[in-house]
Amino acid sequence: MAVTTDRAALNEWVACGWPEKVAPGGKYRTVLLGQEIEVRRTGVNLFEVFECDEHGKQGRQLPVQAKYCCVFTTLGEPTRPLPEIPEFDEPDRRITGCGSVGVHTSPFRIIENFLDMAHFSFVHTDILGAPERTEVLAYKTEHRKDADEIWAIDCQFYQPAASKASRGGQMTHYAYRVMSPFSVMLYKNVFDDPTRNDAICLFVQPIGETECLAYMPLAIVDRESALTSIIDFQQTIFAQDRVILENQRPALLPLDPTIELPTRADASSIAFRRWLKAKNFQFGVYEKKAA
Amino acid sequence: MALTLYDYSLSGSCYKVRLLLDFLDLEYERHPVAFFPEREHRTETFRTINPLAQIPVLDDDGIRLRDAQAILCHLANKYDKSNLWLPRDPELFGPIMMWVMFAGGELMAASAARLHDLLGYDLDIKMARRNAHAAFRILDDHLTRREIEGGTWIVGGHPTIADVACFPYTALSNDGGIGLEDYPALRNWLRSFMRLPKFDAMSGISEFA
Amino acid sequence: MAERLDRWIGVALDGQIKPGSSNPAVIGGNAIAVWRAEKGPANVWEDRCPHRGMRLSFGFVREGMLRCIYHGWGYEPGGHCASIPAHPDLAPPKTICANVYRSKERYGIIWTNLSESPNAPLPDAGPDQGWQSIRSVYVARQVVAVKGGLATFDWSGGRVEEIGEEAAFVSAGELSLLIAIQPVDERKTGLHVVAKGDGAKDVKARLAWAARLERLRGSIEAQS
Repeated sequence: MAVTTDRAALNEWVACGWPEKVAPGGKYRTVLLGQEIEVRRTGVNLFEVFECDEHGKQGRQLPVQAKYCCVFTTLGEPTRPLPEIPEFDEPDRRITGCGSVGVHTSPFRIIENFLDMAHFSFVHTDILGAPERTEVLAYKTEHRKDADEIWAIDCQFYQPAASKASRGGQMTHYAYRVMSPFSVMLYKNVFDDPTRNDAICLFVQPIGETECLAYMPLAIVDRESALTSIIDFQQTIFAQDRVILENQRPALLPLDPTIELPTRADASSIAFRRWLKAKNFQFGVYEKKAA
Repeated sequence: MALTLYDYSLSGSCYKVRLLLDFLDLEYERHPVAFFPEREHRTETFRTINPLAQIPVLDDDGIRLRDAQAILCHLANKYDKSNLWLPRDPELFGPIMMWVMFAGGELMAASAARLHDLLGYDLDIKMARRNAHAAFRILDDHLTRREIEGGTWIVGGHPTIADVACFPYTALSNDGGIGLEDYPALRNWLRSFMRLPKFDAMSGISEFA
Repeated sequence: MAERLDRWIGVALDGQIKPGSSNPAVIGGNAIAVWRAEKGPANVWEDRCPHRGMRLSFGFVREGMLRCIYHGWGYEPGGHCASIPAHPDLAPPKTICANVYRSKERYGIIWTNLSESPNAPLPDAGPDQGWQSIRSVYVARQVVAVKGGLATFDWSGGRVEEIGEEAAFVSAGELSLLIAIQPVDERKTGLHVVAKGDGAKDVKARLAWAARLERLRGSIEAQS
């Protein structure tokens, strides 16, 4: 696999693992944007990342950060730091990652699916959506230029079982935040507590244009549920999405709005695609070749 | 009666047992196992429950069973008053067991492909997919013959534990990059199974047949 | 984009596409969804929902419509989107359409023509009545090798009458076999086999022919 030359992709912080993937002293290899890398856990919370070639010969060292239950690195020069997510510092929250899940599609398909509510009743039936309540009410999208993030706010959807903590249906209120082309998170109100929000993140490691690893760190308010069942819930949801993600054609994300036809419920997707187009992304997007 | 199932939501093998427990209307306690990323099933503690470090494990009032196929046999044998899920009829019993063992044997190549693609297991994915296709072809050829004979199910005139055992990894084939374009009889049998009363889907299988 | 010639290609046995089902197929590298409502003929569409590209072969049928499994968009047999569940009160714009291919059922086989201007006639195997389905087989070889295999196979006393572009004809005693040839891609070919004549409906005869076709598949694949 060739390394991408798309500077827009190279200049992003990207997840490349989770801290407990190997024991301290351990290491593993993975691929980022076509580039083989080696990740070494040199201490409990210390990591090193190096480029390497397919024969294992070590190349240049890369910047690394461990945050939000993930290990991040970059192949280029990011113009901004990792996002601020203060929920991960609140002491009464359950903070956990869920390992990684492999998905054969463009990283941008994964981000878009995370932003979408219209699929809840069909893909997460009787959990995040009910078959009889499929309407997506109008919501707002914004490009927050200072942080260069895409937000969707005032989102709401009826959910029979919004989280592991839920005891019955509720009208869930959501806000979605795209922090970078490879990272997105949502805020959803805690069951029975409208003053606080669960924070659920999705960081995508693009191995190649149509092969990714997805990491899902959570910072949620739930005193009762066992950690195993919180992780189980998140993995169950994502495995349902994965069937969709691996069967969209083309796998690369089309930015041309005549190839795929949006409706008002797709406002986040429209804003996200426009944002990617403005950044001039070549990696992971579909360009219809002239005949 | 106290049934406890050591279970993981994304496990197709555990799903075999969950399916039959539902078909038999049996109540049970679910003991979630932190399969991934913690790999709880491989810890020393869990090995005292199952030395093979695998799930599902069923505890039935002190009888502790591993291997989804064995658990299906046990549940059908002990709890199925209708004698339909595992009939003793010598014409049916042997063939059912043959396909139950196929489900725990050759068909598990589809599980391997799925574990590789989904959870990053290190194994020969090309071989796993090749073997899965070979197993699907055998099952599809058999179901084609059954269709010609006017039958819907793997053995006999009604669903049995052979169908329960073979269903999950066939239905989840796409998770491992295995499509069902070449297996029309298999697709029709999957749909018939999904339309059974008390059928419940799992992640990777649509609720809508 | 894979070639879409003006030819009728058999894509399935009619009886294998059950009412209320959607099924995946590939013709010459083109991904197809073959689906049937609760009643009526089979439909052959491009395997892609125009909303977000989800494969329609994963869809489900409700009340005469094919619904995409992603967002539940409902399509009528003509291809028009008639329902968008996210906006239940909206009449979907007429521009939202699945890509529909011409299809016809004849001789117990579903044929499709992927061309944008389909003018070719269907393969001619005489009258439409009396054809009994045997089975489909998928051979892991490209179509030239499969046609060669059809020509050299031991048909147990039968004789290959003709191997055309889209179909082969074999006569075996009282029976005539029609074999529709579906080029899937460079490494696979589908064969859909129906039979006509005395004893075509006999279960034992059909089982014997199904077994023979498994052997045909094996013999072609045994050659490198």
